[in-house]
Amino acid sequence: MRLRTFNYFFREAFISFARNRWMSLASIGAVASALVIFGSFLLLSVNFDHILKDVESQVEITAYLEDAADGSSIARLNAEISSISGVKQIRFVSKEAALEEFKQQVGKELLEGIDNPLPNSFRIKVENPQEVARVAGEVQKLQGIEEVKYGKGVVEKLFNIIYWVRVLGLAVMAVFAAVSIFIISNTIRLTVFARRREINIMKYIGATDWFVRWPFLLEGMMLGFIGSSVAVGILAGGYSYLYNVVKLNVPMISLIPAKEFYDYALGFLAIGMSLGAFGSSFSIRRFLHV
Amino acid sequence: MIETYGVTKIYPGGLVALKDINIKISKGEFVFIVGPSGAGKSTFIKLLFREELPTKGQIFFNGKNITRMKSREVPFLRRRIGIVFQDFRLLPEKTVYENVAFAMEVTEASSREIKKRVPYVLEKVGLADKAGAKPSELSGGEQQRVALARALVNNPDVLVADEPTGNLDPDTSWEIMKLLNEINKRGTTVVVATHARELVDGMRKRVLQLDKGALVRDEERGVYSNEA
Ligand SMILES: Nc1ncnc2c1ncn2[C@@H]1O[C@H](COP(=O)(O)OP(=O)(O)OP(=O)(O)O)[C@@H](O)[C@H]1O
Ligand SMILES: [Mg+2]
Repeated sequence: MRLRTFNYFFREAFISFARNRWMSLASIGAVASALVIFGSFLLLSVNFDHILKDVESQVEITAYLEDAADGSSIARLNAEISSISGVKQIRFVSKEAALEEFKQQVGKELLEGIDNPLPNSFRIKVENPQEVARVAGEVQKLQGIEEVKYGKGVVEKLFNIIYWVRVLGLAVMAVFAAVSIFIISNTIRLTVFARRREINIMKYIGATDWFVRWPFLLEGMMLGFIGSSVAVGILAGGYSYLYNVVKLNVPMISLIPAKEFYDYALGFLAIGMSLGAFGSSFSIRRFLHV
Repeated sequence: MIETYGVTKIYPGGLVALKDINIKISKGEFVFIVGPSGAGKSTFIKLLFREELPTKGQIFFNGKNITRMKSREVPFLRRRIGIVFQDFRLLPEKTVYENVAFAMEVTEASSREIKKRVPYVLEKVGLADKAGAKPSELSGGEQQRVALARALVNNPDVLVADEPTGNLDPDTSWEIMKLLNEINKRGTTVVVATHARELVDGMRKRVLQLDKGALVRDEERGVYSNEA
């Protein structure tokens, strides 16, 4: 394609953009809101994931052994647990070590002279937080294990929340994307309608379909691009602000720094432009057949 | 250059606009298509540049069967055909120069070619001094000359005009006819559908007469009508 043809396409796209100012602004607004909402959900779920990994890495499984377990069955259990898939780390805590630990926590004096009531145990870490429940179940089944404990419930609940945040985010995004496509396609339809005479003449003088189509596609993509830039701006500003507020006031929660999301920004621009192209291709199709 | 074989056009709804038309138009000819309103003149013109497809029959343009042509080839057919309408069909917000240049931009011609060719064609139709004017600032005859310039700018093999003088007064109509004649003398085939009896009689060119969709007369150096 020649450069001057390309210039022509851009000029035409800009002219009709200026002509339909209000509809163009509405389109940009629609794309921007769709992407801001989508982006908020995305940031929320990615951060949730991140926080959860933090929490999760602290969640250990504690497997208490039967009192009868002797040195050889401890060694056997150690090997068996290590071979369960998903187990990252396993540590044996003897009765004595457990008591020491307990004394540290409660205070030495209180426990002086008492018979050690604590059992031997294994502390197990898993590779993937989602596997805690399964691994715990498998450990429980092993011979010589009295009881298995872990932060039951908390983990599942957090995963549930993340799941629903994602579903909701996608659903809202889909609705807003549909609305954006609808508004953009109406904007472009106005343009196409205002220029149907011109399109007609173009066809008579031998313009190819793509020559007719490009300015409208560009117009749609431009609307999408501007809309998504606005969204990226709002999200970047809002998130940086939130990040600082959380960092100052709730230091235990560590959010993902904003710069980790720079790659997403490009994706957002691409999504915006696709919405625009999609919206305009809807309206052009009907008018092309002269 | 243009050949039709058994061309019949039946519009949706069953109206027979053309019936079994067999015509051969050679390169360099000047042909009038005449006939009463509703005879099928415009339909015939539309078949030539594939605005409509025949219901039956074949049309050849430069040896190529345009009834079998894929729709993506149609733009390239139309670049070989200059088309002129009764209502001029100029773009009102573009100047005379831009209107003509537009036909070249559409074919992705280089700006060098455009800058050379457009003034040349405007000169030929006698509008060199109106290049910067908008169509609304021109008379009907001048607007039609812009349309002619636009039709000619890509150097088509044939110029097809549907009632090019339908909106013009007799004197202006004559000017347009003389211009078409000059264009024809320079080698472009010209096909004109018209109602204008005096023009046809005055020009003494080949006349194809249609009546209710049938070809009823094909006469060299003919007049508008033999009866009357
Ligand atoms: N798109 C269409 N759909 C249905 N019927 C049509 C269509 N176009 C034309 N016709 C009919 O076909 C017949 C021939 O029309 P056409 O326009 O070819 O006549 P014409 O000779 O150009 O007439 P005029 O001198 O009035 O321009 C007419 O009866 C017309 O009503
Ligand atoms: Mg007609």
